[in-house]
Amino acid sequence: MFISPLFGRLAAAISLVGIIGLAGVLSLRTLGAADHLDPPLRTDPNADTNPDKAADIADIYLFQTANDLIMAVTFGGPQATTLPASYDPDLVYTLQVSNDGDPLTTEFPIQIRFGLDASGNAGVRVTGLPGGVTIEGPVETDLSANGITVRAGLFDDPFFFDSQGFRETRSSGNLAFNNQRDFFGSQNITAVVVEIPLDQVRDGNKLIDLWSEAFRFGVQI
Amino acid sequence: MRSVGIALAAAALLSSCSGGGNDSSPPPPPPPPPAATGFDVNPCLTQFVLPGRTVAIEVVPDTLTLDLSRPALFPNGRALTDPVIDLTLAFLFLDLQQHPIDTLARIPLGPASNDRPFRPAFPYLAAPQGNPPLDGGAGQNFQFRTDPLSDYVTVDRTGMPALATALIPGPDRNEYNDDTVTDDLSAGANGEFKWVPALRGSLRALTTALADDFQRAGLTMCARRG
Repeated sequence: MFISPLFGRLAAAISLVGIIGLAGVLSLRTLGAADHLDPPLRTDPNADTNPDKAADIADIYLFQTANDLIMAVTFGGPQATTLPASYDPDLVYTLQVSNDGDPLTTEFPIQIRFGLDASGNAGVRVTGLPGGVTIEGPVETDLSANGITVRAGLFDDPFFFDSQGFRETRSSGNLAFNNQRDFFGSQNITAVVVEIPLDQVRDGNKLIDLWSEAFRFGVQI
Repeated sequence: MRSVGIALAAAALLSSCSGGGNDSSPPPPPPPPPAATGFDVNPCLTQFVLPGRTVAIEVVPDTLTLDLSRPALFPNGRALTDPVIDLTLAFLFLDLQQHPIDTLARIPLGPASNDRPFRPAFPYLAAPQGNPPLDGGAGQNFQFRTDPLSDYVTVDRTGMPALATALIPGPDRNEYNDDTVTDDLSAGANGEFKWVPALRGSLRALTTALADDFQRAGLTMCARRG
């Protein structure tokens, strides 16, 4: 275990000035975001004249509370706070869950689809949940069945990173990184959150693997 | 929480580096470029980030992995509050036997936290900002496509945050996204997992570019000069 308590032995050994200088250099040269705008040839407007924004998965999350496993996938953003959520009926998003420590097997191939009713209201259907459960209902609503809870909706983008500084520094050649600036701040994103009781999803203490995919009906746009 | 003291120091440094203010002295000459070759990054891929879990295991296949017997703190799963970029940079570049994995996150390099607090209970994510148009949470008898996945094409795939962006060469991104876990774990050249050579090559190039910066900061890299 290499995680040490805050202000561990390195705190005194490392030059703070040197570290702060490193902050800009490292970030501007290496990383843009989590998975936003990737793959660029399909989702990045700077590389694709018709990017598939709705299918662009931004981030996934996987954590547990005392009683539940929580998974979330964000997509179609970040975007301005004036824009609506993205509920494209021609897309399938997956949350692929392997609970036996072997990611070659998928025990819970969860699929997420969106649709409309006759009045144009958006709904979500989540299949492949433990116990063969399917949850369906309106977006922007907590939907529950068999102890499992799902919500699809528009949220604050939970990712935080100064990719604006990354881009500005790359284009200008002047160091512009600032750890007080969050490009994803004040922006929203569509997400689906799934909460499952641990006793429905765990296989003892075997490792749980999660990955997510976005599929478009027919062909790439 | 963000550190005000560090923020002020960083702001001062950024100002001087951006050429602002009244300092008219010429900028210092750039440091000599590091050697173009010679870094062995295999020690980075084989170092442990968690008991029994090396960097290579975390990266290949492209999944998030959670050990339920341990707290969920990236790279053990990924909680909403985790500073994943700073943690990723640490386990890709630093010698974790010399530096804790949270070395860079304690500075921090990037923003330390989200701009909105997360909710303590479901749905955990913060409410949307501003006043965007929201569906009313109403409706019934929704019509969904029921076509099998074989009628769809892959657009995107995501597991570990940032890795594809940082380490998979641009021309390979579509193929990387179209691959499955089985593809990730298939044997490529030299019997290694398919994407390991590409990951190693990108990591070596980044290590070469950043070596002088790490040295100036007094940090020990996981890569070794050959």
